[in-house]
Amino acid sequence: MSSHRWLLRFAFGWLALLATIAAWAPLLANSFPLLVCYEEGCQFPAFRLFSAVDLLWLTGWGVAVLLWRVRWLWTIRVVVACVALLVAAGIGSQLEPPALVVHESWRTHLTAQPAQRVLWAPIPYGPRDYLRDFGSTALEPPLAAAPQRWHWLGTDDQGADLAARLIHASRIALSIGLIATGVALAIGVVVGATMGYFAGWVDLIGMRLVEIFEAIPTLFLLLTFVAFFERSLPLMMVIIGLTSWPGYARYTRAEFLRLRRIEFVQGAIAAGLPLTSILFRHMLPNAVAPLAVAAAFGVASAILAESTLSFLGLGLVDEPSWGQALNQAVKAAAFNWWLALFPGLAILLTVLAYNLLGEALRDALDPRYREGVGV
Amino acid sequence: MTSILAVTGLTIAHRGVPLVRGIDLTIAAGETLALVGESGSGKSLTAQSLLGLLPPAFQVSGQAHLAGVAGNLLDPAVAQRVRGARLAMIFQEPMSALNPVLTVGEQIAEVLAIHAPHLSPMGQRQRVLQALAEVQLDPERIAASYPHQLSGGQRQRAMIAMALVAEPLLLVADEPTTALDVTVQAEVLALLRALQQRHGMAMLFISHDLAVVAQIADRIAVMQQGAIVETGTSADLLTAPRHPYTQRLLAAQPDRLPPRLRRAPGETLLAAHDLRVYFPIEKGVWRRTVGWVRALDGVDISVRAGEVVAVVGESGSGKSTLGRTLLGLQPLTSGSITLFGQEMAAVPLRAWRPLRRRVQVVFQDPFASLNPKATIGAQIMEPLTVHRIGASRAEQWALAQQAVEAMGLPSDTLHRYPHQFSGGQRQRIAIAKALALQPELIVCDEITSALDVTLQAEILQRLAALVAEQGLALLFITHNMAVVRYLADRVLVLYRGQVVEEKTHAELFAAPEHPYTQRLLAAAQLEPV
Repeated sequence: MSSHRWLLRFAFGWLALLATIAAWAPLLANSFPLLVCYEEGCQFPAFRLFSAVDLLWLTGWGVAVLLWRVRWLWTIRVVVACVALLVAAGIGSQLEPPALVVHESWRTHLTAQPAQRVLWAPIPYGPRDYLRDFGSTALEPPLAAAPQRWHWLGTDDQGADLAARLIHASRIALSIGLIATGVALAIGVVVGATMGYFAGWVDLIGMRLVEIFEAIPTLFLLLTFVAFFERSLPLMMVIIGLTSWPGYARYTRAEFLRLRRIEFVQGAIAAGLPLTSILFRHMLPNAVAPLAVAAAFGVASAILAESTLSFLGLGLVDEPSWGQALNQAVKAAAFNWWLALFPGLAILLTVLAYNLLGEALRDALDPRYREGVGV
Repeated sequence: MTSILAVTGLTIAHRGVPLVRGIDLTIAAGETLALVGESGSGKSLTAQSLLGLLPPAFQVSGQAHLAGVAGNLLDPAVAQRVRGARLAMIFQEPMSALNPVLTVGEQIAEVLAIHAPHLSPMGQRQRVLQALAEVQLDPERIAASYPHQLSGGQRQRAMIAMALVAEPLLLVADEPTTALDVTVQAEVLALLRALQQRHGMAMLFISHDLAVVAQIADRIAVMQQGAIVETGTSADLLTAPRHPYTQRLLAAQPDRLPPRLRRAPGETLLAAHDLRVYFPIEKGVWRRTVGWVRALDGVDISVRAGEVVAVVGESGSGKSTLGRTLLGLQPLTSGSITLFGQEMAAVPLRAWRPLRRRVQVVFQDPFASLNPKATIGAQIMEPLTVHRIGASRAEQWALAQQAVEAMGLPSDTLHRYPHQFSGGQRQRIAIAKALALQPELIVCDEITSALDVTLQAEILQRLAALVAEQGLALLFITHNMAVVRYLADRVLVLYRGQVVEEKTHAELFAAPEHPYTQRLLAAAQLEPV
């Protein structure tokens, strides 16, 4: 049991760290300095690149931490979270980050005109900074000695800093897993609940629908869509979600078929409660255990799907992604180990963390594990 | 008389919590000792510890000696040696106690192969058939049958044959007839009694039901909270109990409760005519309907205000289907239901909703009748909101509080979740939930059969008071004739989906007509009024 707890702590720790890195990415890895002070005053160049997405990530992170630490009523917490995110979206829509960023501009500017105070990000390169001002920088192994440069994890085949790219790629990994699974859960629960509650003909037709969708290979569909349409993150999320809901529908259906025969549900019908209340208040909360477990594993497989696609060279263009870095490791003439090791490790740890979380949820929600040998 | 089993200072604890506290028992040859107690009294633990069947998480200490066996029976090594041969056990649920993939004959032969290895295959088969014949089963046919092909009574007989085939000195029977229908229960009890006398075997009979125990035991030991509070011969203990707990148990027997107040019934609330509910039997790939299971086959029933109508019958007689049909939870094949003067059989389920408040239901299983994920308060108040009872939330809360307190539940009940309550408390919550809506009719589907007898008495008396004071009507579905005699004004006997007898309470118990009713009453062995 103790080793179990240790693993779970690792899983939570890694996911929290990843979320923190994803939220603070623009301040962790940026080609522009965070703070530059001349005699006439100070500037914050990195913040001028802030987009609405950056602001939403940071607000979301802040709200999550606040809600976790503060013990308010749940309704208050939800209201606070919604208000904060709406305000962030409002401010974000007013932001106008420059369309074209010349990454080396502040580096050259500061060599020409040294400032009194300069504060750089921990990794002073952006994910799309190909270090044009340093000449050819492609495929340098980690910690290779170079004048005025220092790359902890080396550089990729375009000459960009690998650490910066991995940091920014964590956003894609997190969001694709959560949103694709969210889409799948929403469809799966509604379809499964309808099938399970009404049974009969509805169930028969619903199950055929489930079987049809189960027969569609996700990766093949993704490849086809990518070939015909633009390569966009929302499209990928929706496709992964649309092809992975049948599992959730099956779980929900099975639970609802069991629950509809149970006395408290029969009693709810006999008390004349409205259908929505019976389905979502009395049945669904008693069916979440298998769904929560399946969802945790689903997030892991969505992350793997995106990585696979990027590895095949069909991922997003110019957006940093873990799978894309893996692809670069084998594309060049020599095997560039650092391009395989670090993104590979990131994928491994994240998928492992979600799987551990799924297993822990399964154990925690299974009444057989909850109490020892019962009397 | 020589003692077959002598137990001294038996103590069983689980994680340091004592569950059985140093009990002493002796059973003489040919004697039946009944261990009686309510759920949680430790009676089943005692039986299991004697056979070494408790999981290692339980700490067992004390001394138990079986005649002719050296060593302490509570030592697992000793128990392993004598189990099956000198000491046999039969369980409550005969379906789960038999292996579904082996024939009954194979399972009995397996016992012989271990405990009488010298027998030839022919001799073994002879003994198996002999054992089955002894429990009054058709030996050849039953030996070749699988458990699912047998009825509950046949399974329990097969279990008894299996237990007796190695000729044990002591038979431990843990609630062996609780899962059986009343009429079958009487037959199995008679069989056990006859077999015991023929073999001169001692028997430890565990039961919660004093009525059953009275039919079979020579001596009775009453257990309460892990201790034996009173031991005596059946005749003494049942007629002149000394310990207050035994007195309370006896007083709670439904046929010993003080008679309830009865009143003249008012207008008709519910009238159903020629109800038929058929379930199709489908076969093959094409699911062709090859026949029908007639769960209800032309049932007429009516309930008037302030009246208690009991529906009795064995399992599978259609009595639960009848309750569900009258609530609109089960689609009708044909027939008519008139509820408060409105014809309900043909209307869609949605049209039932305005009437739902006036008809409530309470089910048998208290663990399944409440939503485990919502507080009691939320569950009681939701129907109040839906049916617009009470002007404000505060008023609804007060109504819910009132309903809960009327059932004798703690005042903080509304804030808590179902898992924080015992089975008996949950059943009272389920009744409070039904009563909060101020219904005119409550359908009670075996509401006391999962409860201990003292709790059953309490709930019956509370319901009787509501019927007498407020003119509440009850449709009371049960298999317990003693409960029927206490509560019912009118009784319907349901047999294979048909009403075979409908009489007022007094008429039925004085002169039952249908052979099934006569068997039912004979099996219940009620004391004359």
